Amino acid sequence: MVGQRRITIFGVVNALILIAVAVSTLYPLLYITAVSVSDTASVTKGEVFLWPHGFNLEAYKDVLFDQKIPRAYLNTVYYTFLGTFINLLFTSVAAYPLSQPQFVGRRFWMLAIVLTMFLQPGIIPNFLIVQKLGMLDSVWALVIPNAIWTFELIILKSFYENMSAQIREAALIDGASEYRILFNIVLPLSKPALASVGLFFFIGHWNSFFLPMIYLNDQWKYPLQVVLRGMLIFHEGNSSSLVDASALAPQAKKNATIILAMIPVLLIYPFAQKYFAKGVMLGAEKG
Amino acid sequence: MRNLLHRIARDRQLLVLFIPCIVFYAIFRYGPLYGLIIAFKDYSVYTGILDSPWVGFKHFERFFNGPDFFVLFRNTFLLGFFALVCSFPFPILLAILLNEVRVRWFKKFIQTASYLPTFLSVVIISSMITDFLSPNNGIVNKLLNLLGFESKYFLIDPAWFRPIYVLSDIWANTGYEAIIFLAAIAGINPTLYEAARVDGASRLRMMWHVTLPGLMPTILVVFILKTGSMFRVGYEKVLLLYNSMTYDVADVFSTFVYRKGLLESNYSYGAAVGLFEALVAMIMLLGANLISKRLGGKGLW
Repeated sequence: MVGQRRITIFGVVNALILIAVAVSTLYPLLYITAVSVSDTASVTKGEVFLWPHGFNLEAYKDVLFDQKIPRAYLNTVYYTFLGTFINLLFTSVAAYPLSQPQFVGRRFWMLAIVLTMFLQPGIIPNFLIVQKLGMLDSVWALVIPNAIWTFELIILKSFYENMSAQIREAALIDGASEYRILFNIVLPLSKPALASVGLFFFIGHWNSFFLPMIYLNDQWKYPLQVVLRGMLIFHEGNSSSLVDASALAPQAKKNATIILAMIPVLLIYPFAQKYFAKGVMLGAEKG
Repeated sequence: MRNLLHRIARDRQLLVLFIPCIVFYAIFRYGPLYGLIIAFKDYSVYTGILDSPWVGFKHFERFFNGPDFFVLFRNTFLLGFFALVCSFPFPILLAILLNEVRVRWFKKFIQTASYLPTFLSVVIISSMITDFLSPNNGIVNKLLNLLGFESKYFLIDPAWFRPIYVLSDIWANTGYEAIIFLAAIAGINPTLYEAARVDGASRLRMMWHVTLPGLMPTILVVFILKTGSMFRVGYEKVLLLYNSMTYDVADVFSTFVYRKGLLESNYSYGAAVGLFEALVAMIMLLGANLISKRLGGKGLW
């Protein structure tokens, strides 16, 4: 089969279906890009379908000089980096003791941890804890209550388990402490796995909107996703917006914000892809 | 006991590394379970969790006897059910079709395009939905107009809420979910294809008689696990797309808890509704895991 390049009806139909899949996936993104750079009149008249009508960067200028958006963008960058760092640190360290077969209480700890995937008490009890700890309206409410992701913890644990035990034993005989083994040997050897889970953390924080929405009150602290939500959500009692939410904010401006919100994600996408598929498979194969 | 102390002493460095994990799970994963007792109390911010008066099953009775219960249960169930059943075949199909592609760059391109939406936030996806369905200049209505139909107000029409939710789910998740099936296809023994080819099977027949049966175990496990988490619907998207006109079909447990419990500060009532939802979700998930393991597949862990 390999090397065989006959063109068959089957192959052509198959390719057409797959092209249709790719087009329907990419079209919405091309469309919002086109709207964001088209001239205002064409957008309001609904003349943009795929290619920009005219060209102007007014929408982007609007975004740049907006009261809230640039600030929200910086907030998102800050929350994402801090959050990803904390996730990586806590999760990668916690997975190490669990990966050692002889670790005292290992079965108990694993059971207690896995159980939390089933027992999810919901929004209000979580909110009360965060409130009780005085974290409301601060960045800590966004990064500490989810410092460890259980699924990713188990992925890393399995990854460490598959590492040769001999390396660790050799290091122990040489008198290395567990801390040294973890930070100087295990973590550097786990870069691919860390990149995979780190990617999920990054995307998770960058895209998060529900938790910031309930935990933050101060509008200055809102991340981009929450501000973006404000541009599209229906407002009760405002009947014109109920009928057409897209009338709330100029469409071009909203789409320009979306494009800017997607840029970091698109930038890491080529690198991310490799690790992304790997991460999904790590998750599926863990025993 | 001596043995345990001995092991603790031996593992003391590992335990030091593990302390943050214990503290984290105790406070942020088991702490909220303790907080759930407010479902049986009349909690107010001033009295706190401990000193609020016990009220037994008052909130549960109010919920089960009120009109909301039936609507929420039906909506959560139906939304989860339709999302599961309607979207389930697509990743499998995509994986099978991708597997037939012999030109590497083309396969890579399609794959790259197909899981791009996974990286987009629900806010962005919902925003695109409102744009596309806008009655003024949304592209869908433009098309309807071209075909001679009136513009439709999709997002305030209860009949359209579920289809919109499900279709956008398919758009967003198909590529990502195909990954697991692609990997399963890669694991099918190539000699099976050789044998089929010797027997003169066409590619379509091989898809049907080799690829699909080879995928069956994976399909089964994924289906069971997804059924188990069916009750955990994507409430964030619901929250972004629903409005008072569509509450009747769109409101699910989590959005109700958010609106009535959190926004209107009925913490105890909200916690009671949340507890009920959590219990149903947990039973379904545990059941699915059990079935999956019985069938010889893998559970969630």
